[in-house]
Order: sequence, then C-alpha cells, then structure tokens
Amino acid sequence: MLVVTVFPLLVVLKTSLVNSSELFDTATDLLPTSPTVVNYEKVLGLLTTEEAIVNGGSGANINILRALLNSAIFTGVIVVVQTFNCTLAAYAFARMRFPGSKILFGAFVASMMVPAVVIMIPNFVFVRDLGLLDTRAGTVAPYVLMHGFSVFFLRQFFLSLPKEVEEAARIDGANPFVIFLKIALPLSWAPIMTIATLTMINMWNEFLWPFLVAKDPAMQTLPVALQSFRSQTPQGQPDWSGLMAATVIATLPTLAMLFVFGRRIVESVQFTGGK
Amino acid sequence: MLSIAPKVKATVAGYLFIAPALVGFLLFYAWPAARAVGISFTDWNLLSEPVYVGLDNYAEMIQDEQFWNGMKLSALYVLLNIPLQTVLGLFLAVAMDRLTKSLFVKATVLLPYLLSNVLVALIWLWMLDPLLGIVNAMLALVGISPQAFLGDPEQALISIAAINIWRHMGLVAMLFLAGLQTIPKYLYESAALEGASEWRMFTRITLPLLRPVMVFVLVTSVTGSFQIFDTIAVTTSGGPLDSTRVIVYYIIQNAFSFYKMGYASAMSVTLCMVMLVYTLFQMHILRASESDLA
Amino acid sequence: MKTKPIITSALAIALATQAFAGEIKYSLWDSNQMPAYQQCAADFMAQNPGIKITINQSGWDDYWTALSTGFVSGTAPDVFTNHLAKYPEFVKNNLLVDLSDYIERDKVDAGQYRQGLYQIWGKDGKQYGLPKDWDTIAMLVNMDMAKAAGVTLDELNNMTWNPKDGGSFEQIVKKLTLDKNGHNAMSPAFEPNEVVTYGYQTPGSGNMMGQTEWSHFAVSSGFRFQDAPWDGNFHYDSPELASTIDYLASLADRHLSADFKRTQSLGSDAMFIAKKVAIIPQGSWMITYFNNSAKFNNQWVPLPIGPNGKRATTFNGLADSIWTGSKNKEESWLWVKYLGSSACQSVVAERGVVFPAIKGLAERAIEVQKGHGVDSSAFLIMAESETFLPPIANNGSRIAEIMDKAIQSVFLGRSTAEKALSSANKKIIKLNR
Repeated sequence: MLVVTVFPLLVVLKTSLVNSSELFDTATDLLPTSPTVVNYEKVLGLLTTEEAIVNGGSGANINILRALLNSAIFTGVIVVVQTFNCTLAAYAFARMRFPGSKILFGAFVASMMVPAVVIMIPNFVFVRDLGLLDTRAGTVAPYVLMHGFSVFFLRQFFLSLPKEVEEAARIDGANPFVIFLKIALPLSWAPIMTIATLTMINMWNEFLWPFLVAKDPAMQTLPVALQSFRSQTPQGQPDWSGLMAATVIATLPTLAMLFVFGRRIVESVQFTGGK
Repeated sequence: MLSIAPKVKATVAGYLFIAPALVGFLLFYAWPAARAVGISFTDWNLLSEPVYVGLDNYAEMIQDEQFWNGMKLSALYVLLNIPLQTVLGLFLAVAMDRLTKSLFVKATVLLPYLLSNVLVALIWLWMLDPLLGIVNAMLALVGISPQAFLGDPEQALISIAAINIWRHMGLVAMLFLAGLQTIPKYLYESAALEGASEWRMFTRITLPLLRPVMVFVLVTSVTGSFQIFDTIAVTTSGGPLDSTRVIVYYIIQNAFSFYKMGYASAMSVTLCMVMLVYTLFQMHILRASESDLA
Repeated sequence: MKTKPIITSALAIALATQAFAGEIKYSLWDSNQMPAYQQCAADFMAQNPGIKITINQSGWDDYWTALSTGFVSGTAPDVFTNHLAKYPEFVKNNLLVDLSDYIERDKVDAGQYRQGLYQIWGKDGKQYGLPKDWDTIAMLVNMDMAKAAGVTLDELNNMTWNPKDGGSFEQIVKKLTLDKNGHNAMSPAFEPNEVVTYGYQTPGSGNMMGQTEWSHFAVSSGFRFQDAPWDGNFHYDSPELASTIDYLASLADRHLSADFKRTQSLGSDAMFIAKKVAIIPQGSWMITYFNNSAKFNNQWVPLPIGPNGKRATTFNGLADSIWTGSKNKEESWLWVKYLGSSACQSVVAERGVVFPAIKGLAERAIEVQKGHGVDSSAFLIMAESETFLPPIANNGSRIAEIMDKAIQSVFLGRSTAEKALSSANKKIIKLNR
C-alpha cells in the first residue's frame, strides 16, 4: 500500500532530475543516470529566457515561488477569517435565541448542497462587476465570509458543551461577546483547529474558482499556476521535466505540513468522518 | 417593557454574531443561486446586455445531445469511481486496524488526498503517458502491449476514475478506520470464542457497525464525484472526442470558453435540481439507517 | 473638407510634443519569440522613456481563454498578437481598435509588407491589425534515417502525393518505416505490429485549419475552405477533403504512422526528436526549436506536389491588434507601429525565429538560420507555391471544436471521413447562418 502511495512521487522526483532532452531514452529507468538540477533552476526562474528555452522550457517560466506565496495568502486569509466568522455564527446558532435563527441555520446548511458550478457563474459576474477579477479580494471573496459545513460542525460542538459557566457569567452581567471570547472560545480550541485544518487542506487545493478569476500570473495560486504551466506547450508538448520539478516543489509544503502537523491532520480528517 | 428589552437585546446580539457569515451567505450563496435562475432565462455573452429569451435555453438543452452525454458521463463516472474506492478504502482500513497503529503509516496513506487534484492529475498524466510513461513500461515487463489510457476514448474516463481512486482511497480508509476503532473489541473476542471465521466476523460485526460511517462516506463522495472537473481540466479537457466531457466540464466550457452564460446557467440550474432530488433521496436512506441502529 | 489635414497636422504636432506616460500590456503565445520581443520592447522603451511595456506570454489554449476573460472583465492586454482564425469574433464584438485613422495620420506604408499580409487584417475599409510575421509549412526529415534507407535529398525535395496511391511520398514513407528487425514496409518480411520507427506522423486533428495536418494535401487536390474570407458557407464536406482525411487515417491503419490515440499526449514533434518518426510536417515558427533539440542530421524539404501539379501551403500572417478597452490607445498605437516597423522586425529577423512581415526580412532570417546551420529555404519555396489563407469566419472557436471532433472521430476509426465531415459542415453552416 505504501508503495502505491509513494511510488508515483518517486517517479516524479526522478523525472525532475532528468534533462528534458534525455527523457525519451530514460523513460523506463528507475534512477536518473546523469542527474541535473537544471529543471529546478528553470522553474525557480534562475535561468534567462533563452537558457530556459534551450533546456526545453517555455520562455515565460512558472514563477513557482510567487504561486506558493499567493496560495499561502489565499489559504491563510480564508482559514483565519472564515473560521472566525463561522465560529461566531455557530456559537450564536447554538446559544442565542433570536427570531429567524432556525430558518437561517437551515439555509446555511442547505448552502452545502448547492453544487459549486451553479453559483460560480453569478459569482463570476458579481466579482467582475465589482472590478475584482485578478485581485486577491476577488479570489477570496466567495469563501472568506462563511462556509456552511464549518458553521454546522461547530454548532454541533457548541450544543454539546455544558452551558453552566456561561449562564453564570451572563447572570454576572457580562455581555455576550465577552462570554464568547473569555469562556466559550478557550473551551473550543480543539474543534476550531479541526475545522481550520480541514479548511486549510481544501483551500490549499482549491482550483476551479481561482482558475476562473485569477488569470493574471501575478495572482495565480499554486494549482492554477501548475495548470497554466502544463498548458504551456512550448514546442507542442508539455515541458515534462520542468513540470515535474514544479510538482516536487509544490509537494514540499504539503509534506512539511504533514511532517509537523501529522497527528492533527489525520485526526481532523477522521474526526469529521466520525460525526 | 422590561420583558421586551432583553429579547431585543438578544436578537441584536444574535444578528451581530452571525452578521459576517450572513452577509457571506446572502452575497455569495443565496443571491447568486437566485440570479443563476434569472440568467438562465437570458441570452448573454457578458459583452452586451442580456436578452430575455424565456425558456429557450431549457428547450435547447433538452435537445442538446452533449448535455445528456455529460449527465450520463458524470453518472457513469460515479459508478466507476465510488464502489471500487469505497471497497479498497474499507479493506485498507481493516488491514491498518489489524497491522499497525503507526502515525507514519496513516500520514503516508493520507498523503495523496492532501495533494491537490491538479497536482495528482499532473503526476498521473505523466505516469500514464502512452509513449514515455512508467505504467506502460511496467506493463511491457509483464507482456502487456502499451495502452493509450487518457488518449483512448474507451479508457479515458476509467483512467480518470483510477487517478481519483488513488487520491481518495487513503481518505476513505481513514474515515473507516475511525469507525472501526469505535467497535468494541469484546464483540470480536466473544465471536472468536464461538469459532466464527474472520469473514463471518467481518460481515456480521464489522460491516453492520460501520454503516453510519459508510453512509457518510457515500453521501459526501457521491456528490463530490458527480461534480468532477479539476482532473479532467488537467488531463483530457473533455476529450478524446466527448468521452470525458462530463456535465460540469461542459457547463464551465459553455460559460467561460463560449461565454454562453444563459445556456450554462440553465444547465447548472438543472444540475442543481438533479442533485437536490438525489440528496433528498439519500437523506431518506440516511434517516433509515439511523433508526436502524438506534 | 479642408479642415481635416489641418486637424491632423495639429494633432501630429500636439503628439510630437506630448510626453507619453503609461504602461502597455502586451501578450503573445509563442515562447520561442519572447527574447526577440523583449529586445524590441527594450529598444522601444529607450526611445519612449515614458512608456513601459510589460510582456506576458502564455500557452496557446490559455492565451485565448485568458484573452476572452480579459475582454469581459476589462483586464485584457492593451496590445496582443492576433490570429486570423480568431479575429473575426473579436471584430463582431467590437473588441479591436480600427487602426486605419492612425495609419493614415502617421503615413504607415502598407506596401512595405509582403504581398497580401496587410489586406487580410482589414474588412470594410477598417484595419484591425498591423502585420508582424508570416509562416508556411514544410516537412522535416531525419536525414540519418533517409540515408540508411537509401532515400536521397533530391527525391525528398521532389515528392509527389495523391490520395489514391500516395505518390512518391508514400513510397518514401514506406522505405522509412522500420520494424524491430530492420525490415521496411516495402519488404514482405515487414512485421506491422512491431514497428520501431514510423515513416510519417500527422500531428493531430488540425481542427478547423489543418494548418500542418491536412490543408496542404487537401488544397492541392482541389479543396477550398470557403469561397471568400468571412463567408460562412464552408466546404468541409467536399470529397477532396474526405479523401485526404481518409488517406491520412489509412497511414496509421497500415502502420506507417503511429496510432492516433497514442500520439496525442506527446505529439509528433517529440516523436521526431526521439527518433520514433522519420518525417513530420511543421511550420516555419519551429525552425529554431528543432535546431536546438534534434541532435541528428535533419533537413526541411518542401511539401509534396499534389494532384493538381502544385505544392500548396497555408500562408498564415499574424498581426498585432489593440483592444478597444485599452486606456492608453495612443501609446498602444505607438507600440503596434513599432512592432510593425523594420526596426523591430529586423531584430526578429536577426534572431531567425520567424519570418518577419516586411519585404526582404524573411530572406535575412533565412541567412541567419543558415549561419546556425539550418537550411530553411524550403519555406520560401512554399511561400512562392500555391498559398492559401486559413479560414476566416465568425464563431471560430465553435467551428474549431466541431471540426476537431469530426476529424478525431475519423482518426480514431469511429467514423468515415465522408460521414463525419458532412455532418460537421452542416453544423457549421447552421452556426454561421
């Protein structure tokens, strides 16, 4: 099983170390015969345009570091803001009684069922009319304010949390926001981190929306930049060795995350499934 | 008076708490959903003003072979993808439950899921290349002639399903593993004492008790699988011929390549209806399964 | 009536004294040409200190989708490289600036460009682009293989072709197709299922243009895309095209070419470099690439002489156009004018990457290529043979998709050419009615 998971990644690594002119002769080798880092230099923009072309690349190289940065900003902003908003809303739906709360919660949950493609077209038009295509604001807009599943998940958690302490604080006259910040939030780090982890995974990998609204290379997130690099067919074929070098670099953050937060990620994924 | 004031206060506080999420919901879910229906009644290429055309787009859709082909392919894709993925995930989970509790193993198994669809598609596009790919090289070692995989209309959708099985199998296994770990061990011990075979224990204890997880896995993976897009955009762009032009790909193509916003919206609204009916149907089953276990 | 020249000259004076400022975004799709245009941009910016040119390059497919998104969202580049198959849709949606007033005002000489290149970018007295370069098609031969097979350069330079028996072209292709035991396709011992090098490879479906794939064969046997540019009445259902497509499909059936479905991910160019195919058709824009990448003896030869006794080739001319939404139209025009001038096109010629549009510079490019050890004169021979334009009509992207599928279905053995093409043609005519 581990072989099935890891083997493709090794093939990618090997390809990334082969000069593109040797790809044909070495396709079936398991190890690179004359390893080179030229593909990495190429995708990191260390070669001039002409050198890149001679080495089988396209003139305009994927700027993978910029794409990584864009992805980090995109993911980071959404994880922090969306999770915070959803926690607030989930807390209100679990603890506060106000007219319309049931209907609104139902509507939030229903929003999970709508296929992404349905709202994608009007959202594209909306973001275009706001003049936000090819901007960071436009790219994060549909995600940053709320996410149905996060609200649902966190509300279920808050419902299971004993309310005595909060009741006591309320009788003492503390306002709801203080109660939320001082009492509910500290008790909820575990599920919040779970949902933040899941959001992080999903957003890091999100493709369709950023692909539609962030065409400008300066704004492209990693998956979008990779896809556009793939469709760079400088000489009628993708620059495979360069592409595989980019793939390796793109895989590194995920590996690093898994290395550092392995337990948290595995548990987060399992936790939501158990629910 | 006194009794109203706290109520008003609570209402204000409640709405303040949900305000950011509510704005997001209204602007990016509710309004666009309604607007999609509106756009579906128009002919609009985004460059000129939309023209109201009534139900023309829906009429065109019903006669459009490609629309039906897309729906059919999406459904076929689910059938190619889900059963195998679920079964493999289940067996992987059982094996891990028996053999190892190592976090390293779990993390490795989960790794493909943590890589983006685009990345995974790229990796396999290269591995499945008919002339240079390692897969054909390995098939040649066991005497199988080279296959075209993504280049062959007969094999392309199957190949894409296989790619996504590779990506999701570990996730499914993790979910099942979590479920397995909630099954009390004494059930197996007493069954073993009565001389039950491994297979019998699996079908009589494991499977029934895993049913809630199974339902969750199926609900989420079927709806996701029906909306497959990313992998196709990277590997085949809907080809060869129309063999992978699934419904979401066809909608996006109409909207963002041909700029037929009205027509694309009509198809997406229809897709939404189909999914809604399916979800209601599935929730019916879900509820049935819950009462079953209670 | 008399006021016009006065206004024009007043404008010219005003312009001459006005310092331009602004950023011009320029897009192109061919990465091979990036260095040449970066040089042009640097020279231009040195002459026009207030203007900054930023060049953006993306792959062919991405290029057109990004451009469309740019048009609808107001973020398109000010100036971009335009293609004959694409520009009618842009004209229809009023996306291209009519350059005729600028051309008249600044007295740009339309006669400086190679015959026909200026006119194809105009319609109804309006001009939508200034020519930048042109290309024709030829065939690239692995001369090591030709030598081993006993095929001479003279034979290659004088190939004939017809859809019935394939002419001398087919004889050569058969000689160059080798199985694993080294038997060629003429030999009775030839094992068709064990081919190691194919004689010839069609690059792909060629969608609506068949630029490198089938247009030259079809036209030299009497096919015409349309009666005139902009005419929506296409002739894709003509028997000449059907017999050409059937012939090309038969090459794979007879194992003289690789199976279509196994070539599409890699492409014929990569197969040529990997020495898996001996002859491929390609365009002049690829000269430098093959010079860099194919590390063996190779030679460009003219396309075969067809049934009508002539060689035929797509003669495609690219141009630079200005988007109507550009906020810096005057500066954009200056850049387009510079791109279309001999100053920039000489730079392009010196790089030897493509053939510039200005008369005489193509010959210079060929000299430069000769200096790099490449004989590209076959393309000039083709340019002086029977040339034809790619089809020009509305709904290009839809037509391209319909034709792509029709021809693929023939190459995949799903349909006969006659059936696939006549049904495709019906759809296309309906589209443009």
